[in-house]
Formats: sequence, C-alpha cells, structure tokens
Amino acid sequence: MAKIIVVTSGKGGVGKTTSSAAISTGLALAGHKTVVIDFDVGLRNLDLIMGCERRVVYDFVNVINKEASLKQALIKDKRTENLFILPASQTRDKDALTVDGVQAVLDELKKDFEFIICDSPAGIEQGAQMALYFADEAIVVTNPEVSSVRDSDRILGILQSKSMRAEKGEPVKEHLLLTRYNPTRVESAEMLSVADVEEILAIPLLGVIPESEAVLKASNQGQPVILDEDANAGQAYADAVKRLLGETVPHRFLEAEKKGFFKRLLGGK
Amino acid sequence: MTETCFRMKGTTLTSIVLEVIDFEPDNFEAQLSQKIASAPQFFTRSSLILHLIKPLSATEFELLVALCRRLQLQPMAVKGEVAELKPTINDLGLADVSQSKFTDSVLRSQNPSQQATASNVNSSENNGGSQAQQSSTSAANTSSDSDASPSAVTPLKAEIKPAKVINRPVRSGQQVYAEGGDLVVTASVSEGAELLADGNIHVYGTLRGRALAGVKGNTGARVFCQSLDAELISIAGQFIMHETVKGECWKKPAQVYLEEETLRIEPLA
Ligand SMILES: Nc1ncnc2c1ncn2[C@@H]1O[C@H](COP(=O)(O)OP(=O)(O)OP(=O)(O)O)[C@@H](O)[C@H]1O
Ligand SMILES: [Mg+2]
Repeated sequence: MAKIIVVTSGKGGVGKTTSSAAISTGLALAGHKTVVIDFDVGLRNLDLIMGCERRVVYDFVNVINKEASLKQALIKDKRTENLFILPASQTRDKDALTVDGVQAVLDELKKDFEFIICDSPAGIEQGAQMALYFADEAIVVTNPEVSSVRDSDRILGILQSKSMRAEKGEPVKEHLLLTRYNPTRVESAEMLSVADVEEILAIPLLGVIPESEAVLKASNQGQPVILDEDANAGQAYADAVKRLLGETVPHRFLEAEKKGFFKRLLGGK
Repeated sequence: MTETCFRMKGTTLTSIVLEVIDFEPDNFEAQLSQKIASAPQFFTRSSLILHLIKPLSATEFELLVALCRRLQLQPMAVKGEVAELKPTINDLGLADVSQSKFTDSVLRSQNPSQQATASNVNSSENNGGSQAQQSSTSAANTSSDSDASPSAVTPLKAEIKPAKVINRPVRSGQQVYAEGGDLVVTASVSEGAELLADGNIHVYGTLRGRALAGVKGNTGARVFCQSLDAELISIAGQFIMHETVKGECWKKPAQVYLEEETLRIEPLA
C-alpha cells in the first residue's frame, strides 16, 4: 500500500522543502519507489532544490486540469533511481488545486509508488490544508523557537480535525522533525532544546537536523543535502529516513561540539 | 394510507434568557459583545429567549433582533412586554411565549446600578444572592411543565451527565466544550487552546491554554491540573490571567476555585 506523507510546519522557511527533498531521496536510495510533490503552487522551489528546474515542462496543475498526463509531468530524478518529482505551477495560485483533482492524481500515483511525499506550502490556510488532507502520516518540521513550535502545534490540531483520516476517525501518524538545531545556541538559552520542544508538542521525534552550511551549499547545487555524506545535516537526514522505515537509530548532533585535544593544541576554531 | 411520517413530542430545553432592561443600541451592543467574548464557544449560535422588561417600539425590537443575530446569537422566542409587538414578532419568525410558564429564577444582582442579573437553576451550587457574576444575560431552564419557584435551586431531577473525556493533546486553535458537565483531558493543553465546561475541568497534563469552568454560572466549579501554566482561568465568569496565575503553584499540580468572588489557587499535594 502506498503511503502518503505530508511535510508541513505552519510557519514558513523552517525547512519543509529541504526536508522533503532529503527524505524522498533517502527513501528512494533505500529502494522504495518514491514521488515528491510540490504543493506550493505559485512559489515552486522543490524543483530547484532537486536540481531539475530546467526539465519542468508540465506541472501538478496541468495534470489536475487534464492538460497533461501524469506521465508527461513526472520528472525522473537524474541521480537517484526510483525517484520522481511532480513540480508545482509557477503561474497559478493555490485555488487551482481542488480536492477532487488532487485526489485523482494521488489515486493514480498510489498504483505506482510506495511513498508519496507532499511538500506543503507555509501557513495553515487552504494551501496547507490541501497538502495534508489526504496524508496517512505527517512530518511536522519545527525550528527550536517559540513561534515555530506554536505553529506546529496549530498544524497538529488541523491534522486532527481537518484531514480525511480525521474525518473518518483514523488518526494521522505524527512525526516531529526538528531542523536548524544549533546546540551552542541551545546551551546559551537562545533556542529551545529538543526536550523543550518534545514536551510542548508531545509527538514522537523522527530526527534532529543540525543547522549547517552544507544545506545552503546543497541547495545552490540543486542536490538534496542527504547526498552529502560528509555533512552532519546529511547524516542526520539519513538517520531520520531509517527511523521512518522503522529502524531504531540513536539521535546524533544534539550537543555542541567539544573542542578535541588536537584542535585545542593547534588553536583550532 | 401511508405509514406515519411524523410524531409529536414534548421536550424541555435549556436556553439563555436575555433580559432586556434598557435598550440603547450602541451601549447594548458593546456590553453584549463583551459578554460573548468572555465565553465565545458557549454563546455562539446559542438559542435565545428575549425577555423584554420594558416595552420597545417595533423599530427598536427589529434592531435588537438584528443585533443579536449579528453577534451570532439565535433569538427564537420573546416574552415579557410584547403586547404592541405581536405583528413584528410574527414577521421576524419568532415565537411569542409571553403566556408560557417559566422556571427561570432571577437572582438578585449584587450591584443594582449595573444591568446584572445572572441565574442558573441547574446549578446546585447557587447560593441565593451571593451570585458573583455580572452579566446582562441569564441562563435558565425553560422547562414548561413545571412551576418551580425561583428559590428551587436544587436540581429538578438527579440528572448526571457523564464527563467529556479527551485523550489527546488539545492544540493551539482548538476549543473543547463540555456542555452540562465536567471536562477531563488526559493530556496537555497548548497555549492558544480553549477548554470550556459547565462543570469542572480536569487536566492530567500541563495546562498552558485557557480553561473556563462553570461557564453557565456555576460558581462551585473548579479547575484542576497536573501542571499549572495557564494563559487564563475562569470560573463562572470571574477570571485571572497568566500574570496572576504565576505564583507559588506555577508549573505545579494545582486547583483553582472561587471563594467570595475571588479566584483562589491552591497546590494539590
Ligand atoms: N538545517 C539547516 N541548516 C541551515 N539552513 C537551513 C537548514 N534547513 C533549511 N535551511 C535554510 O532555510 C531556508 C528555508 O528552507 P526551506 O525552503 O526548505 O524552507 P520551507 O519550510 O520549505 O520554506 P517555505 O515555507 O517558504 O516553503 C533555506 O534558505 C534553507 O537553505
Ligand atoms: Mg518550501
């Protein structure tokens, strides 16, 4: 059975698209046929992060309006086997997505794919609600700060009341993905700790992605950061994917890096 | 002959009686909106009986009804000084219940200069004139099959409504109302969430949101929680805000109750 997973947050700019790209790539690398859909109609950028912006011909809205077939619109990832991207339209607005239209596309994708990852737009309004409506599971992307946690809390409320599963009385499985985590700033109490966020949101922790320059570098190169095996952010996403697939993996990168003996000797930064 | 297609039954209904003491539109609207804002969940779309203490002109009465509807109340019937208004009442689709028998008990207001009559015959905790709430409405049981006197504040029947039990976190933006009884939440209540109950409220988690107990005027209602971190706590319309809640019981197990018009916070051992 295909699983539909929405990547959502309420607050904007917290790392939904970065996470959607990394997680879908990770699932495909693990051998699962995966499609990632950009629900951010009008502001598409998943294709940029995935490095396939030049290959976009048709988009999600074209498929919904039957101006193109799903086959025509799906972009096969160049680097990773088993991975496809369904880009968003740049010229339409969020009203172009209709419940029936989205459902028809998802039903068709379900026949072919194991995982359908939905990259939600920011906010808690119609666009975000459309992205989460059909979800079986939700990855709630949160930054360790009060306003982001508050918005994640609201989105969890919406998942419980406005998703199709909620309407049928079946809960959506919830995962917390804490991103842009900076242990040094947590220690100096400028940011909330993992424990603080877990206590407020009270949902299982899927992963903690450290704040990392590798993320920006990766997005400039159009290459999901999970492919950067040397970067801690890449490794943290790889761990999160394993957990999503049911493995138990300890959390890493939660503490500020202690200066090693040699670094101290050499006066390293 | 076809099969029976309807049946007629009698019923009793608890509704709000809005006693209109003095109708000066702007002032009236201001006071009424303020009252509604104190417990929006309770008032929104609740059915209403207008009790005209003084006769109104047809225009004034139309204004009054429009005003109530605009504030999301649903006037359904009128009593009191209605003699001149019969055609208008008819035109507006309301019922004239000036001839019906009522059991609503109007308790003496503490401060006669204020338009304040609050009553609740369903409350066994009511103790005559020491009603603390100041309001321009009175919640009353409009049961028409009984002729109980105003002093009959003991429950007419021993009706015990089971508590409403919520087993998941109540998130920011969500509201839960336990009508006619207690509310039990076995998880945490987020900042920005609102709990309302006609009876007591119990939170077996952290209470970070708002809790309004005894919203229909039960001054004996209490709020209990495992960890007190509330934005607002209200009992029978008396409330305290976050700043006041902070104190010796902050983030500790506590109960809040009304004593002589003042909310008391007490630790739970
Ligand atoms: N772990 C990280 N470390 C450093 N920068 C990050 C990290 N995650 C995301 N970013 C940066 O944060 C910005 C926003 O990321 P992204 O576009 O993924 O967020 P979003 O939630 O999809 O935003 P929107 O709400 O606009 O869709 C980008 O500049 C991205 O490079
Ligand atoms: Mg995005």
